[in-house]
Amino acid sequence: MADTEDGEGIEKRVQGATWTVLGGALVFVLMLFSLQCPHGEDGSRADYPKRTLPPEPEPVLLAGPEPSDDYFPCSDCHDETMKVDPERRAMEEDHEDIEVVHGDLWCLQCHSAEDRDSLQLADRTHVAFGESWKMCLQCHGQRRQDWPTGIHGKRTGHWWGPKEVRTCIECHDPHAPRFKAIEPLPPPRRPEAILSSTAAASSVPAQEVSDEP
Amino acid sequence: MNPDDPDAPKLDAKGASRRKFLRTAVAGAAALTGVGAATGMEFDVEAMFQGHFRELSREDLDRVLERLAKKYSARYAKDVKVSATGPIDGVVFGYGLDISRCIGCRKCVYACVDENNQSRDPQIQWIRVLEFEREKVMRGINLEDGNPYYDHEEVPAPDKVYLPVACQHCDDSPCTQVCPTGATWMEPDGIVVIDYDWCIGCRYCMAACPYGARKFNWAEPNLPAEDVNPNMHLLGNRPRGKGVVEKCSFCIQRVRDGRYPACLEACPVGARKFGNLLDPKSEIRQLLATKRTFVLKAELETHPKFFYFWG
Repeated sequence: MADTEDGEGIEKRVQGATWTVLGGALVFVLMLFSLQCPHGEDGSRADYPKRTLPPEPEPVLLAGPEPSDDYFPCSDCHDETMKVDPERRAMEEDHEDIEVVHGDLWCLQCHSAEDRDSLQLADRTHVAFGESWKMCLQCHGQRRQDWPTGIHGKRTGHWWGPKEVRTCIECHDPHAPRFKAIEPLPPPRRPEAILSSTAAASSVPAQEVSDEP
Repeated sequence: MNPDDPDAPKLDAKGASRRKFLRTAVAGAAALTGVGAATGMEFDVEAMFQGHFRELSREDLDRVLERLAKKYSARYAKDVKVSATGPIDGVVFGYGLDISRCIGCRKCVYACVDENNQSRDPQIQWIRVLEFEREKVMRGINLEDGNPYYDHEEVPAPDKVYLPVACQHCDDSPCTQVCPTGATWMEPDGIVVIDYDWCIGCRYCMAACPYGARKFNWAEPNLPAEDVNPNMHLLGNRPRGKGVVEKCSFCIQRVRDGRYPACLEACPVGARKFGNLLDPKSEIRQLLATKRTFVLKAELETHPKFFYFWG
């Protein structure tokens, strides 16, 4: 019947189209392979010797900066003979060089009046100067989270391996913790300047500037 | 390199005969024209026809490294080591930079120059520190607004924000896709590297890079011998020649030995973070997990592995 013939005709055409699509897809896939193969899967060497990570050692916590020559224990002056004055006041006779720019703090909120060579936490427990970071982390909660994980603070050495972890006071002055402005290193040369220096290097005479109009 | 030399690494028959043929042909041509003798120019066949980094056999590679170490040691009168240390299994590198900390001091820029043997004159610097108006940057970063030439007596300058930019080591890197010679590609540890021997200086990669991270040697680089860092990697900080492109390699010569990049160690405010993206405990993963991070020109879908964050 004519209907059947038409049906077969359609079927054949559909089959033909399917093969064309499949064939096209195959050619496309082959093309992709031919594009990628010369460079390897990720463009890397196949014969890199296999390297794996050894277990990582614990980070080394730096104790703090070396005491400078003019450092001496607080108790050398603040001994039994010196009476503790807990009154909050400006230090006019001694320690006038220390300006506290750190919240609303003054000396005895961090320094212990009972044991002059240690610091005192809010709960009145004493900590050594070498562990001053315990002092800082009482208030600075975000740092308490970020410093141990390495997000805050400076580390040097190895991303995998021995590393030195700096405590707060190695970067921040506890009396005025905000970083001081510093002199930047020189800006990059502008492209014009680079071109002229290249010209000089290859001994091409620079264009002379004439005063005449 | 004499093929009859018993100490010479063994070549396959094809390689040996091809090299021998080339050497003979070039020597013959030089003798005919008198080029070699007249100019005193040494023509290094090995260097000229050296296989692509990715095609070299282990023996070929060792020989190339040895030749380069010898060449650079002589040139700079220093004991230069050139390595081709490979990637580490299970490591993909990522970088983080805390823009709330950066003060724009450019210490990273010059640490990078020293570590990576950049040309001093003409000046090449892989890191560019851009200065932005704080007001403006809060409404979105447009790199065009950044000024790399700021010259203040002290930084940070009031109401400014600083954004150091170098190679972003994109996971879908436009630069490697346009290279006609396959001289630049991404390594399995995510570092985008350049084989300086195969770079033909067409600068397509520079046009393709949306971050301006690639630098071109318009003239013969000038690197004083006393400033040379002798710890070199074939795909990183070995000296470049005129007419090739270079860029940040995450300090490949350091990080593949487990060390931090030089810029990170130079940063006085600890704004720079580095580590293994595949290790959930690494500094970079910790900051990705807990901080608000962004990448530059995210809309281009280059998928940088350099993340900026607000600490």
